[in-house]
Amino acid sequence: MIKHQRLIAVLAILLVSSLVFSQGKKETEISSQQEITVYAYDAFCGDWGPGPTIVTEFEAKTGIRVNLVSAGDAIEMLIKVRGEKNNPLADVVVGISDDMAAKAYAADLFEPYDSPTLADIPALLQFDPQNRLLPFDYGNFAFVYDSEKLSPAMIPTSLDDLTDPKYKNKVLLIDPRTSSVGLGLLLWTIEVYGEEGYLSWWKAMKSNALTITEGWSSAYGLFTEGEAPLVLSYTTSPVYHVTYEGSTRYRSALFTEGHSTTIESVGLLASSKKKDAAKLFIDFLLTDAQLDVATANSMYPVNSGTVLPPAFDWAPKPEKSLSLDALAIEKNLDRWLTEWTQVMSR
Amino acid sequence: MDTGDEQMKQKVGGENKGFYKAMPVPGALVLLALFLVPLFFTLSAAFLTEEGFSLSRIRETFTSAYTIRILLFTLYQAALSTLASVLVALPGAYLLANYSFRGKRFIRALSTVPFVIPSILVVLGFVIFFGNNGFLNQLLMKLFTLEQPPIQILYSFKAIILAHTFFNFPIVMNLVSTYWEHMDTHCEMAAWTLGAKRGRTFRTITLPRLAPSIISAATLVFLFCYNSFAIILVLGGGPQFTTMEVEIYRLARTSMDSGGAAALSLFSLVITSVLLVWYNKSQKMLARSEEYNSSSARLSKKPATLAGKVLALVYSVATLLFIMGPIASIVVRSFMASATRSGGESFSFKWYRQLFALERGTGHMGSALQALTNSLLIAALVAVVTVPIALTLATAIRKKGFASSALELFGMLPMTVSSVIIGLGYYLIANRIRAGVSVGYTLVVLAHMVIAIPFVLRTILPEYRKMPLSYIQSSLTLGATPLRTFFLIEIPLLRAAMITGGMFAFALSMGEITATLTLANSAIITLPVIMYRLIGSYNFQGACALGTVLILVSTIVFLVSELAKGGTNGR
Repeated sequence: MIKHQRLIAVLAILLVSSLVFSQGKKETEISSQQEITVYAYDAFCGDWGPGPTIVTEFEAKTGIRVNLVSAGDAIEMLIKVRGEKNNPLADVVVGISDDMAAKAYAADLFEPYDSPTLADIPALLQFDPQNRLLPFDYGNFAFVYDSEKLSPAMIPTSLDDLTDPKYKNKVLLIDPRTSSVGLGLLLWTIEVYGEEGYLSWWKAMKSNALTITEGWSSAYGLFTEGEAPLVLSYTTSPVYHVTYEGSTRYRSALFTEGHSTTIESVGLLASSKKKDAAKLFIDFLLTDAQLDVATANSMYPVNSGTVLPPAFDWAPKPEKSLSLDALAIEKNLDRWLTEWTQVMSR
Repeated sequence: MDTGDEQMKQKVGGENKGFYKAMPVPGALVLLALFLVPLFFTLSAAFLTEEGFSLSRIRETFTSAYTIRILLFTLYQAALSTLASVLVALPGAYLLANYSFRGKRFIRALSTVPFVIPSILVVLGFVIFFGNNGFLNQLLMKLFTLEQPPIQILYSFKAIILAHTFFNFPIVMNLVSTYWEHMDTHCEMAAWTLGAKRGRTFRTITLPRLAPSIISAATLVFLFCYNSFAIILVLGGGPQFTTMEVEIYRLARTSMDSGGAAALSLFSLVITSVLLVWYNKSQKMLARSEEYNSSSARLSKKPATLAGKVLALVYSVATLLFIMGPIASIVVRSFMASATRSGGESFSFKWYRQLFALERGTGHMGSALQALTNSLLIAALVAVVTVPIALTLATAIRKKGFASSALELFGMLPMTVSSVIIGLGYYLIANRIRAGVSVGYTLVVLAHMVIAIPFVLRTILPEYRKMPLSYIQSSLTLGATPLRTFFLIEIPLLRAAMITGGMFAFALSMGEITATLTLANSAIITLPVIMYRLIGSYNFQGACALGTVLILVSTIVFLVSELAKGGTNGR
């Protein structure tokens, strides 16, 4: 008898406590419906990043609170959300680029979202047919030059041009093994020269590259310190100098072969429990926030209705945009990197 | 009689055993939980393929000609950098240990500074000073009206060695001079009395006596250069100087091939461990007990001859310029901002006004003061906790025997593993623990401890091994408890080494970024984290301003701890 009483008591306690806890859980779910967590890469969240401004505007407009988390770079974010798959913290991830998309698809993290705002976005930029990743801005890789160091006759007009011996030790490149911008150039050369020809371009560049840095930051730092007059960056880089420094000294060179494109995307995590609020945030990012995103990120907006400030006159849009299929990249990247390393480390 | 002695020994030994055995437990636990367990999980990926457990990846990595070529280069540059650091450091250590002169403490304090600067800022400082368009070249070009920059040292193998020496020779100088200072001069005096020349005395007597501290410092430098990353790529000039760390990074991050990365770092780990075991062995063989010299007799001298004075001066000026050049470049850049539309730069407090929130800056700049407070708190805590923990590990390691050798290797392991792999390990921890801010702080402090332990250990161990066992035995024989002996005899004798170790722990924590970024979940901002983000968004000068604050604060802290070492170190 006593045994049974004890059992019943234990069961009763369990029942009551589970009721109390489940009720508590429900309550927090309702109140925290009003807060979503957004992972974004570092530059998005701070300094001149667009994050703080658009979060304030979004909160004022919708009443939904946004917890903006600066979660490293795109790869770190992917590793992070993949690690949290069973224990999700975030609802939206901002900043996976198109050339990394295959990795995001493979991890099966994102849920398709056919946002009504996609109607205003050129089909060319919508790289994911299933809409798991939606484009919010894009840029073109380009070589930026220092107009005080290069005479007009010396401004390169093509990738081919850059291999000319007159550029000996004048170019700053970035390692594709350790940097997404560096990877951008590797893909650019494959887009232009194909798998047969890209390695000879790199071979020819060996003596023209002053150094091949590990990341964009070091390369651009060396460039603005005047170590070399040409650096791998984006067509939009001059916008920063015009807007924040009032200087037109640094300009981007347009190349006749066309420029490789990188598209930054936003994705709704399948594990999110606040999808409605999260979708509102995505829509906001693709409409009202476009100007802020473009100016702060120094990228082009995807929404064709966006009117850009005059500083963007210094960021000429290339006539030809190039890109590779995400699956082809996923399949071959490792081999390309190995081939590249073998050629360049000799 | 004999058996009585034995029994006596055992009795004393038995009483001590409990105390000394318990000593290394806390340190070992921290290392185990925060380093070994995550490392085990990360590295186990090397054996896991889609078909389950397999050794194929290991076999592939360990026999690939490419891997071996990279390994050989990594070892080569690390060995050369270590040699250069030791050679540059020895004269400095000699000066610091044997002479007393004005500004000595300042030099010691300053020499720890390169350590707190994140490597990306070191690279920038180097380029601003030594670069083709750098201060040095501009000065020389103006002086001699040259067309081309005369010093073209960057972007070559030489630059890697130069930058590594800049970063590391101060460690050697600091460690060796601390050890040297407390060495008595009896042997040398005897040699001189017997007619040996100074050079010969140094070669045959002083150098062998210094060997344990030199080897200890060289081990640290070697491992540091072995895992070097940004410096090698940027200043070396590109992929022809690929090291193991770069390949591990590529596999882990760009290719997201955690198995390949694990196999490669396992390979790397095996090689460095073999080297470490060899180092430890040779260090133990060379270690001998020395009389502790606390008198300042060694230090009362000033350079005697004119030649000596000139040499001391030349060395001091050259090294000071070498250390100060890149550091001063960072400081100078922080006071420059473009004021006009033409883009010309002039002297300005702009970045500092933003730092101290006197002018509306941007998100990151505004939180700089908070970050400084965080960094100082974390670093102070790390220093205060790491020194006792390393000390307790040292009590066990100092003895001869297999267990202590294993423990020593264990304590050094965090230095042998690539920061990328450690970072992956921390992901595992961070993902398992739902971190609130206070938990985040604890994890960051613990992670910094793990990183600092090898350094503090390397500082304390040579000094500890030098300590004559007779001191401890007499204390025990006279009836003092082991605890009393430890606190009243051992710790006071180790004080200077402990303070030096504490400075290293502080400096490492102030400059640490990888672990902080992964563990802190962006809830905790430290100075290097903000600096890193500023650089990532075009604001190099803002980062230089933060770097200047970091340099200033660290110099003050190091100066204070030099003063705390007390009177034996000269003025």
